[in-house]
Amino acid sequence: MSADMSYPDVVSWAVPVFIALILIELVWIVTQRRGGRYETRDALTSLVMGAGNVASGIVLGFVAYGFFMALWAITPLDLGTSVWVVALCFVLDDLRYYWVHRFGHRIRWVWASHVNHHSSQHYNLTTALRQTWTGTFTFMMVVRAPLILLGFHPAMVLFCGGLNLIYQFWIHTEAIGRLPRWFEAVMNTPSHHRVHHGRNPRYLDANYAGVFIVWDRLFGTFVPECDDERVDYGLVRNLGTFNPIRVAFHEWVAIFRDVTQPGLTARQRLMYAVAPPGWSHDGSRETSDMIKARHATGTPNSHAGAGIPGE
Amino acid sequence: MPLEVLIALVVCGIAGIAILTHLFGLSSRSVFEDEAAARAAWLREFPQLSPGEVTLATDRHAALVTTRKGPGLVWSFGADTTARLLTGARVSRDARGLVIRLPDYSAPRIRLSLDDDEAARWTTLTGDAA
Repeated sequence: MSADMSYPDVVSWAVPVFIALILIELVWIVTQRRGGRYETRDALTSLVMGAGNVASGIVLGFVAYGFFMALWAITPLDLGTSVWVVALCFVLDDLRYYWVHRFGHRIRWVWASHVNHHSSQHYNLTTALRQTWTGTFTFMMVVRAPLILLGFHPAMVLFCGGLNLIYQFWIHTEAIGRLPRWFEAVMNTPSHHRVHHGRNPRYLDANYAGVFIVWDRLFGTFVPECDDERVDYGLVRNLGTFNPIRVAFHEWVAIFRDVTQPGLTARQRLMYAVAPPGWSHDGSRETSDMIKARHATGTPNSHAGAGIPGE
Repeated sequence: MPLEVLIALVVCGIAGIAILTHLFGLSSRSVFEDEAAARAAWLREFPQLSPGEVTLATDRHAALVTTRKGPGLVWSFGADTTARLLTGARVSRDARGLVIRLPDYSAPRIRLSLDDDEAARWTTLTGDAA
């Protein structure tokens, strides 16, 4: 079994491309007066979050990599390094991404890490870089364990994860409308991902895909972008700070405050950490399911299309 | 990529994009056209909590609202808006107007530019929250 294997650090090499594309999008929006919005502090916060994500990867990356290498040491399988194995690894890692992303919206402990990616009220290429600093603490690296145990080398898995991240960069834009139907049917696109960033009841908890939108179609979470319902970007309750530290940690602080409040049972404390975001022991808050149900009840005309219960 | 090159790229990239965005005039704060706009912005955050009276700041960057759960504030947040109930808020005066501190890690402090009379009136209106 090969222990030594290396692939290029594709995310680092993509950084100049990210910067160039952001500049192109910014100039396009300003000169054409369409295709999205930029705001200085919002963009700056997103970019600093992106830099912090890279830094946290350098500091904490050894945790996940050590875990993967430990699994690699015990698995009897080694699928090798052929192009077809890399391609299969990419597809399976994208399936892994779908589920981690879905958990990220449905389990508050994981949402605490992912929420910052949704905390901008803008949707442009800088939003793509508004990434977590605390991903290691979600322990979602365990979802990659089956890939390693099946014989995909950890370096290959991380390489495919990097390609996945790079693919998702360009879909964070309003400058691209819809792409050819065959492409929209198979691939994640700006249109599909705009829906994912929407705070409209219809668009909550939809389109978790990384690269292939087929996972959402397969698992019943696909919602198309509706021409008659413009996406409202951001969180159900938007932040009131551009401070990157507060953006990175606000949901962790909220969990801590909820879990440690007096008078709760042990189960209630656990639920504040692992139940869907918006769960509360006294029903004083709303989960996305409750928001969708209320929306369906209160606005009967909204029933046309996907994303609302009862349709 | 060597780490020092990556760091230089990231630092220059962030600074360059931020400066260019500012030079393009994209740093201005949103403005509430009128009370209806402030009301709509409030309902965007609290769709189940209809505002009663809406008091728009003279600079139109913030508005106080009354609700059945107590006073709330909707304010400019960059080019957008956000809102909070003022439950547990601490309100103090400063040279520019008012500073509202909330027991909320995601919106800890809101600085409002108000003239003296306005600041005094808003302090009274928010008095129930403290």
